[in-house]
Amino acid sequence: MTERASSASDGADAVGFGEPLVEIQNVSKHFPNEEGMFSWLSFNRDADGLPIETGREWVRAVEDVSFTIRKGETLGLVGESGCGKSTLARTILRLLEPTEGSIYFKGTDLADLSGERLRNTRKDIQMIFQDPQSSLDPRMKVGKIVEEPMQAHGMLDSEGRAARAQELLEKVGLDPQHYNRYPHAFSGGQRQRINLARALSVNPDFIVCDEPVSALDVSIQAQVLNTMRDLQKEFGLTYLFIAHDLSVIRHISDRVAVMYLGQLVELADKQELFENPTHPYTQALLDSIPVPDPRADGHRGVLEGDVPSPIDPPSGCRFRTRCPELITPAEYDLTDAEWERVRSFMRHVKRRDFTETDPDALSQRYFDGQIPSGDAGDKVSAAIDDIAADDWDAAAERLQNAFAEQSICAREEPDYEVDPEYGADRHTVACHLCRE
Amino acid sequence: MSAPLLRVDDLQVQFFTEDGVVRAVDGISFDVREGELVGLVGESGAGKSVAVSAIMRLVESPGRIVGGHIEFKGETLIEVERGDDGESYRTDATIPDGELRERIRGREIAIIFQDPMESLNPVFTVGGQLREFIELNRDLSEEDAREEAVRMLREVGIPEAAARYDDYPHQFSGGMRQRVLIAMALACEPALIIADEPTTALDVTVEAQILDLVDELQERYDTSFVWVTHDMGVVAEICDRVNVMYLGEIVEQAPVDDLFYDTQHPYTEALLDSVPRPDETVEELNPIKGVMPEAINPPAGCRFHTRCPDAREACKTTNPDCRDVTDGVTEHRAACIKHDAFETTYEGSPPLETGSGGGFDVSLSGGETDD
Amino acid sequence: MATTHSDSETLGGESVEDFDESEQSVEARVGWRYTLAQVRKDPTAFAGFIIIAVASVVALVTTIDAVVFEYLAQYQVFAQFGVEKYWLAKTIWMSPTAEPAGTPTLLPPVGMENTFGQGTWAHPLGTDDRGRDILLRLIYGTRIAILVGVLATAIGLVGGMVIGAVSGYYGGWTDDVLMRLAETLYAIPFLVLVLAFIAAFGRSITFAMVGVGVASIPKFARLIRSRVVSVREDEYVEAAKAAGVRDRNIILRHVIPNSFAPVLVQATLQVGTAIIIIAGLSFLGFGIQPPTPSWGQMLSVSRNYMIQNPWFSVWPGLCILVTVVAFNMFGDGLRDALDPRLNN
Repeated sequence: MTERASSASDGADAVGFGEPLVEIQNVSKHFPNEEGMFSWLSFNRDADGLPIETGREWVRAVEDVSFTIRKGETLGLVGESGCGKSTLARTILRLLEPTEGSIYFKGTDLADLSGERLRNTRKDIQMIFQDPQSSLDPRMKVGKIVEEPMQAHGMLDSEGRAARAQELLEKVGLDPQHYNRYPHAFSGGQRQRINLARALSVNPDFIVCDEPVSALDVSIQAQVLNTMRDLQKEFGLTYLFIAHDLSVIRHISDRVAVMYLGQLVELADKQELFENPTHPYTQALLDSIPVPDPRADGHRGVLEGDVPSPIDPPSGCRFRTRCPELITPAEYDLTDAEWERVRSFMRHVKRRDFTETDPDALSQRYFDGQIPSGDAGDKVSAAIDDIAADDWDAAAERLQNAFAEQSICAREEPDYEVDPEYGADRHTVACHLCRE
Repeated sequence: MSAPLLRVDDLQVQFFTEDGVVRAVDGISFDVREGELVGLVGESGAGKSVAVSAIMRLVESPGRIVGGHIEFKGETLIEVERGDDGESYRTDATIPDGELRERIRGREIAIIFQDPMESLNPVFTVGGQLREFIELNRDLSEEDAREEAVRMLREVGIPEAAARYDDYPHQFSGGMRQRVLIAMALACEPALIIADEPTTALDVTVEAQILDLVDELQERYDTSFVWVTHDMGVVAEICDRVNVMYLGEIVEQAPVDDLFYDTQHPYTEALLDSVPRPDETVEELNPIKGVMPEAINPPAGCRFHTRCPDAREACKTTNPDCRDVTDGVTEHRAACIKHDAFETTYEGSPPLETGSGGGFDVSLSGGETDD
Repeated sequence: MATTHSDSETLGGESVEDFDESEQSVEARVGWRYTLAQVRKDPTAFAGFIIIAVASVVALVTTIDAVVFEYLAQYQVFAQFGVEKYWLAKTIWMSPTAEPAGTPTLLPPVGMENTFGQGTWAHPLGTDDRGRDILLRLIYGTRIAILVGVLATAIGLVGGMVIGAVSGYYGGWTDDVLMRLAETLYAIPFLVLVLAFIAAFGRSITFAMVGVGVASIPKFARLIRSRVVSVREDEYVEAAKAAGVRDRNIILRHVIPNSFAPVLVQATLQVGTAIIIIAGLSFLGFGIQPPTPSWGQMLSVSRNYMIQNPWFSVWPGLCILVTVVAFNMFGDGLRDALDPRLNN
């Protein structure tokens, strides 16, 4: 750490290509669920005494995320909406303050900075936003938009800025004559290019791209992606590229990180991740994408249910509630087939998507009439009896406590590294299946 | 083969705006057979949403259906002809508004929109809305309708359907809301469902769930679908036949396998080349040059010629119709004069300078705002 | 001078005639030119605009005559040319404040009769209880109405903008404190607040104006805040922040310009309200003091002569009505022009 601190002031030249440029260590970001003067108060009719409770609910949007971005590379960050990828991006940029953790940029911990010092570091880190409509001020001309960051950091005089803005517009593939136009005169793809020009204006080292092409038509996406790549080569840029579209990630990234419910589940070299996906979530994600090839045999829809709430995320592995490969609890002696049936039964009881209550019919339907023997079987039978007594909640809870909560997936947070099949980069997987 | 369930013939929809007439849909024809899932694919601005809203006569002002004939189960949903004075008017064969609303909308043809939040009223419970819809359209008692509503919710995979019946739309996730809309669309067991980008707003894993659900339900109810999308992946996954639209026109019409493996129109080909693939690493993408011109002032001749890699002089003058271009074993139509089916001067015509295929440098300065 | 300045600000500082229609489709659908073109298409709003423009010109000329000339008359150079207060009025007519000796009082308008006799062309709208020409007094009263209405609104607008923008942009604790203060002010009835202000600082038009301005701050603050809270979430604000632009510049360059449209509409409507309030205060004797002519005060005096010469009351009342309605018509038109949902 001391070494890092000493090199903090050396500037861009201190980091060579391939060396870590950004190091994110154990970053967490929690939001209060409600904001406002009295949001720490809530009403609870069932409480003893005063029907008022204190304390806030916290949305655990990002939890304990660590990774490194090397100079000159593109790190793809992929995940579904609500997984915390945009929050993470904004935390890295210090648009949000991390609840915990450190963000080292060229050795300086951004989490420690504030005020003018933080503002000065923004020169080296820029961002490109998702929505080409709203990321440009509709009342500002394009030229001024591109010049604004330069002006904020006192770069050049006003003529110099204007010249540079026009040069940059040309660089990103726009007509410099458009300098005096308003953003609404441009199409979505062109606006995204203006965004690029603005980000490049202060000569940054690192650009965070938050879904830069997801709002664009496919044919325009390709144009913008190609431009981004060319610019990266020309200016030696480092990208953190966030997207929900794995096809885009596959095209642009060097390494890929997959996020689920605020945590990283897998991080590996691009080829390794796509050819040898190890985490069940990554596999599900890859299987879900519609492939533009009618002869491809799709799996599709392998995941059930919805992402749980980040207010009260599942213990252990956060993906376990939807995971098709939940590990058998160690204390039960169940075969794979039996475990499969128990889990299917548990899922159906929880979703309550059948109306049958007769014990025999249930055991026939979900266990082929063969309820497993031993401890596990007793618990299943007890749950079936609960259903017969029409107490579905008790049955669901009993099964959850007896099985799902006993799995190692619920008890320990996974964090493993596997040997890569492709390339030499580290391949980290947060799944207990890798525990050997 | 039996007569098609839905036949759209030479449909034209125009928007009369301050800046001029926008020919959003300019003479498209396609049909949907029973039990078939027909795709309508194209980029934004191609006119695909307008085209499907015209089927149900839901085009909103300043838009107007100015020509064409839409027939559903032998009934004329709309027939517009141009009179001697140049004004277009509906013919007598068109079924009246009231009858369309009572008998066709919801009962025979249902629509699923992209944003489920806009289709559900936020101040009523999900179950209540579904129940009311069933009660109105299927003449059931309130009791029975409620039971049917819960059954439908369970059918489309809403967990704890009975308990969630009383929830409000905002308490559902995006995917769940889309399931509710599918339940609503299926409630009257319509013959045709029009799905306007129903999965675009959803995450991939949820999209996959919905696509699975549609597959499953289609098998069970034998419903026909018109599926509007911009995603070639979705097309490949679920469609039986596909219509590719560009700037208000259908440029290619083919069974899904032929569309991907025996592509006949340069636009379709370019579109397929420009998408990054999830299943393989593509080093260099090959984007379509430029942007789609505005429908208010479309290019003369073939509308794609300004961006087409195969464009020749002849393309500037001839606007080809969509005709059968292959051997006739399968029905495969394309609107490109490079095919022999068009007896034109394409062969001898000199190629147009549309720049190199490299893409981005050309595309920008020639953007649509310039001209 | 202040009159026209703030007035032209409200109107965008560009004459409608300058607008070149052909540029519209290519150039901004934002900006003043486009907005004014939209307003011109709306006959009601355009009529309001014309009335306001005429009233502003009248106010400007009379301000020069009454205030600027009085100031200039102190200097020999100007005095020798005969420059003095109400110079224009005197050369054409007579002073709107002087009480002419021997002229008949409460003369009716031309063509009208009452017990005092027939009106004359020297006083087309008749004379008041002291024999002064009503038309001239109305013309000079325009100055007070427009100046005071616009300035009072400007005070409320600027105060409200600062408070609302800071409150909305920073949020949290700052927001809570500022908004609770604004709500406290809001809870006191408008007129009571203004009267309390005058009672505390003294009976003069300046304090009446400042009082009306201050009392309207909460209204503007809340309106601006509600806009800023949504603009703050726009990505271009975040983009500016990420680029390292200082907060002050973000507020001035991005947040306020983009929150301004509904506020402008509100301000236009507020000018009408302020005119009525000030007229009401003058009527009650708290506003402009005689002999300076103002519509409210004329109305106040006239109520004693309602039976003998009702026209004395009708004219100032009509002036207030027309001006206030003009501001409202223009404000409504502006709202439609600025509403993007109606534009497309």
